[in-house]
Amino acid sequence: RGRPGSLQHKSALFSCATGPQQIHGRESWSLSPEEFEIWDRLYRLKEGDGVKEPILPQIHFETIENLDETSRPEEEAAHTLSLSEWSIWQNRPFPTSAVDHSDRCHHFISVMEMIEAMREEQGDCSYELELQPHLRAEDVHVQRNKSHPSASKSA
Amino acid sequence: QRLRAAVHYTAGCLCQDVAEDKGVQFSKQTIAAIAEITFRQCENFARDLEMFARHAKRSTVTPEDVKLLARRSNSLLKYITQKSEELASSNMEQKEKKKKKSSAAKGRRTSEEQEAAVTESEDSNMA
Repeated sequence: RGRPGSLQHKSALFSCATGPQQIHGRESWSLSPEEFEIWDRLYRLKEGDGVKEPILPQIHFETIENLDETSRPEEEAAHTLSLSEWSIWQNRPFPTSAVDHSDRCHHFISVMEMIEAMREEQGDCSYELELQPHLRAEDVHVQRNKSHPSASKSA
Repeated sequence: QRLRAAVHYTAGCLCQDVAEDKGVQFSKQTIAAIAEITFRQCENFARDLEMFARHAKRSTVTPEDVKLLARRSNSLLKYITQKSEELASSNMEQKEKKKKKSSAAKGRRTSEEQEAAVTESEDSNMA
């Protein structure tokens, strides 16, 4: 078992930085030896736990050059948190505790609702039919017409 | 609704470009959803831009505020910054020519940049 060793090592590191007293530990940025022990025992994910480490998906742009894309080698061994797995739940506001939903969040909910409403549509799109009469040629780049989409032009 | 219709049309054009590029098809419903997301995203952008400008004690939104919209992603920030520099240098060249229209053009350019940004973030969401 290599763990106690590394723990002792870290405790030593902490105490030499902050002194052995708990008060000092709490004032520092890092965990005190006591806090570290609690974290290590109760919360820290270890190999024997049978759960994968949770990680957040990385930002990736399709249409522009992507910087700092560090490929994380352990990605397979981790559980990437999904933001789309439960999309059918997302057409209504979820309960809140102390922080209200933002406008941005309400926009998201509305669009999920709209998508839900269009899910069963075949062919013609109600959104398109509703907006078509309001389109003014002077509002849009008409020179793009070479590529005009059958999708939004047909009617 | 008129604005929505214009966004919808433009979203359709951009989706068509992507569709040709990738050899796929977008359903009308997909385009409608992208258009609605774009429309609503413009509200987020407009509100943020106004706050950013006010934060800097300005009442006019500048390219700096637009860059601030992209602050969370290095890739997006780099892209927007490059575009902004290109615009700035081409503006220098055409300064005389533009002097008359500059006020009108400025407003439009900002919203176009916004739209470009929206489209990109959405493209990556859709993928």
